[in-house]
Parts: sequence; C-alpha cells; structure tokens
Amino acid sequence: MSSTHPGARLREIMQNDMVVAPGCYDGITAKLIQAAGHHAAYMTGAGTSASLGYPDFGLITMTEMVDNAARITRSIDMPLICDADTGYGNELNVTRMIHEYERKGVGAIHMEDQGFPKKCGHLDDKEIISREEYFAKIRAAASARTSPDFVIIARTDSRAVIGFDEAVARCNGALEAGADVAFFEAAQTIEEVEKVPQLVKGPCLLNIVHRGKTPKVELSEAKAMGYKMAILPSLLYRNILGASEAILKELATGKMPTPMGDMTPREGFNKFGANEWDALRTAFRDPPKRDAAE
Amino acid sequence: MTKAEELRQKFVAMIKADGMITAPGCYDGLTATLISSAGFDCAYMTGAGTSIAKGFPDFGLMTMTEMVANAEVIANASNCPVICDADTGYGNELNMTRTVHEYERAGVTGIHIEDQGFPKKCGHLDDKEIIPIEDYVAKIRAAVAARRDPNFQIIARTDARAPLGFEEAVHRGNASLEAGADIVFLEAPQTMDELKAVPQQVKGPCLFNYVEGGKTPPIDLKTVASMGFKISILPGFLLRQAILSCEEILGELKSSGEPPNRYSHVSVRDMFNRFGANEWDKLRTESGPTKQAAE
Repeated sequence: MSSTHPGARLREIMQNDMVVAPGCYDGITAKLIQAAGHHAAYMTGAGTSASLGYPDFGLITMTEMVDNAARITRSIDMPLICDADTGYGNELNVTRMIHEYERKGVGAIHMEDQGFPKKCGHLDDKEIISREEYFAKIRAAASARTSPDFVIIARTDSRAVIGFDEAVARCNGALEAGADVAFFEAAQTIEEVEKVPQLVKGPCLLNIVHRGKTPKVELSEAKAMGYKMAILPSLLYRNILGASEAILKELATGKMPTPMGDMTPREGFNKFGANEWDALRTAFRDPPKRDAAE
Repeated sequence: MTKAEELRQKFVAMIKADGMITAPGCYDGLTATLISSAGFDCAYMTGAGTSIAKGFPDFGLMTMTEMVANAEVIANASNCPVICDADTGYGNELNMTRTVHEYERAGVTGIHIEDQGFPKKCGHLDDKEIIPIEDYVAKIRAAVAARRDPNFQIIARTDARAPLGFEEAVHRGNASLEAGADIVFLEAPQTMDELKAVPQQVKGPCLFNYVEGGKTPPIDLKTVASMGFKISILPGFLLRQAILSCEEILGELKSSGEPPNRYSHVSVRDMFNRFGANEWDKLRTESGPTKQAAE
C-alpha cells in the first residue's frame, strides 16, 4: 500500500503522460483493470446503475455511488476517478459528496453542469444550469476537499445544448473556480476534439464512448492532442454484456457452452487474492510443538 | 399477509373510522420502540430527526437510500403503522417510482411527498421553491402507479401556502386527491381560520402537522380532531425532548463533574426490557440445548 494520496498519484502521472482509466463498476472489474497493469481506474455511473439493475437515468443516490466507490477502492491499490453526476443537489450537497468520496479513498471526481435529475451525456434533451450556479458548485467542491491533492474534474455538458464556444468558456471558468481538470463532454467532430486542449487553459479529460456523440479517437492520438486524462467508461461493461448475452444464448440452445474465461475455480479465486488470504490461515498459529511432532 | 400489509390495512380502517390518529415522530429504533410501546396507533419518521441523528441539519442532505434505511429500522422496531417523510420523492417521476418501491419494500405504511423544488428546505423555514402544479400532479400519479400494495398510503403534501396563497394550496390538495393520493397534507396554514378551513375545503382525509415553534398557531390536538383532521403528526416531539434533556444533563455532568444519577432507579436490565430482552432471552433455551452442548 502506498501512502501517497491517490489524487497526488494522478497529478504525478499527468505531469508528463496521460492517465488512462478504464471503467469499472465492482470489485471484479476493478481488480481486472489493476491486474492488466493500468495505473488508474474509473468508476462509471452508467455501469454502477446497471449493476444495481437500473438504466443510467439519475436513479442512483449519492449513497449508492459512494458505497460502490468504497467497494472499488478497497479492491485496488491505484487511484480511482469517480463519476459524481451533478454533485446531487446544491452547494451543500456538493460539499457532502466531496467529504463522502474523499473519505472512501477516491482520488478524483467529476461533476457536471446538468440539471437534476440528470441524463447520460451521450443522450439527448439535457438541461443545463447557469454558469453562475455551475461555478459556485465547483468552488464548493474545491473548498470542501480536505486534501489539496484530491482532484476536482469539471465536466460541462453544454456543447450539445448551447454550443462549442460556451462549453470552452465553461471549462476555463471552472478551472478558474478551482477545478483541476476540464472534462468537455461530447465534442461532436474530430476538429472539436483537437481544439479542446488548445483552447482550454488547463489539463483536459477525454471521454471515450463507443458509438457516442464523439468520433473514435485512438489513445495515442488523444495524448498527442494534449489530453492529460482519458476515461473509457463502458469498455468492460459492454464487453461483459456482450460476452454474457452470447453464452446465455448458447445455453438456451440446450448445449453446455464453454465459458470464455476457461479456468479452474481455483484459478478464478487466484485473481482475487486467494493466495494472500490463504497465507492468513497459518500465519498466526503457534509454531508446531516439538514433542508433539516426536 | 405480511406484517406490513396488515398494518396498512389497520391504518386504512383507522382513517375511515371516527376520530383522529396521533403519530409522534421518531428517528431511530429507540424512539420507534418507545412510541409503539406507549400504545400509539401510528409512528411518524421525521426527515429532520433522521438528518439530525446522522449529524446533519434538515437541509436536504439526506439521500433516499439513507431515509429508506432508517425507515426499515423503524418499521422493524415498531408494532404500529409508520408514516414516513419522503421529501420531494428525490427527483422526477422516475425517482418517485423508485422511492415508492424502496419505501414499500422497507415495510412502512405510507409516505408523504411534496411540491417543493429540489434540493428542498424545511416547510417551516422561509424561501421555499415550489414546482408547477402539473409537475406535482404527475409525481403523485407516478407514486400511486408505483405502489404494489393498494393500501400503501400516498400522502400529498403541499408547501404552496406561503409562496402562492391558501387557495392555491387547497386547489393542489384537491388536485392530488384526484390524481390518486390518499391523504392531503396542507403544510403550514397561517391562521386558525385557515386551519379550520382545510378539512372543510379539501375533499378527502387531511393530515395536521404539529410543529412547536413553527408557522402554524399553537393549538391542542382535541381541537384539531374536532375540526375534522384524520391524522396529526408530531415530528419534533421526541427530538426536542431528546436534544433538550440531553443538553441539560450533559451540562450538569460538565459543571459538577459528577453524573446527576437522575434515573438510577432504572436498572440496566429494566432498560433492556424495553427493547425486547425477555423475548430474545427465551430464544436461548427455547429450542433446548444443542446436541453438541448436551454431550
């Protein structure tokens, strides 16, 4: 366990590289991301919602999001970036949200300028709050953190609703209000994706959503454009949906399918620390007595 | 029939019968047990108390999850119907639907939902924001459609009196009854005449909110019952008692350095007995010694 604040670790990576954070929504997906050698993970709100049996329609409470974040941070030893939606209300709710996430060992959160209840950034009909309200919430978030290392990511959903220039202005305004990273949601063309890090006066995050509103961008391209952070919220979530649906379909035909993860039960357990936990079974026992052995 | 369904049925019968239900407010398993043991027919889960018991003022900082978790504790601890504060329903019609599912699953008898904006403020504070009547009625309809037990009580609370006037508040009460609400909760009438007019002008059962130090003039419950109200909730009744008596006794300990021992005639066992110690104790021996222990 490193004692560095997870937010400090993110800031360190951003110094001369791009943070790449695949999305997780439980202990399984979080541990797989770490085992694959990634340096950060992202907790997706859409995935968290789906894993609780709901669509991403703002039905999940702050308590449920924070509980899920706690499950994830105790599963991994690397920084976690979390979706914090609108901050769940006004400046008072934002303050509490920051306290709760920070207490669970999260390194960064992103908070957006949508109205409440919110919609997914890649769906239509989003409602946007005024600049004043948005910046007040960012200020509240920045002042609520107990460690200055905790990273506040300001997300704006204003591109589709108001336009590109407004979204850039909101990114810059949020950085001035104390945000550390700007998250320009759903740029509509490659040119826009390229322009964001040029026009925004601080580190930028790119949200990579397969079949979303933003055209496909390779990670190397994003890095070359100057992005400091890339999240891939739905990478594992959709993979699991596809793989699960395929094997269930196969089972429905009546023949016993072979799972894609072709391994023994023990091999499965090993991915979740079986060996480390096994060591505890004997580590604290009295050493075997001599005469008993004789 | 489950315990929750029985209690809902009992509550509906009480509303239909003559007289008024008195529901003191609780905010945890302790206060719920005390209300139920004192023989009250109904307990009320206060949002302000729930918030305060978790260390927050009543400023809309509690999440639906926290409210429902508390409601479940209270429903389990008590043996009477429990009516809960469900604020604004925590969002739009979708959130309202989930809120009803969760509260119903928690085993309570009903909830009240209001027409304040989100995040809400306490009804007896100023600067309340009110949603349009169309949005409010849609939420009530969503709540009614979401319940699985038809006896699960949807209590429509309107906070429109202060910002929009008495007539609008009455209008909203009647509109919510048409939308399927079971009971109307017209929050904070400002005069005795208004209070009297509520059960006369609202075409369904009415709830009275007894708040010490609030906006409604002081009144005794007998008078409220004679006006025709079917249920009175006393949200802050025990909460105030708890806060003030704790402050007092803590002050005495602090200043004298010695515990006042005001209640030393109550044994530890007596206190446990109030929370079912005898019933739980029976389980120690009831099924006889286990085979292993007997050997």
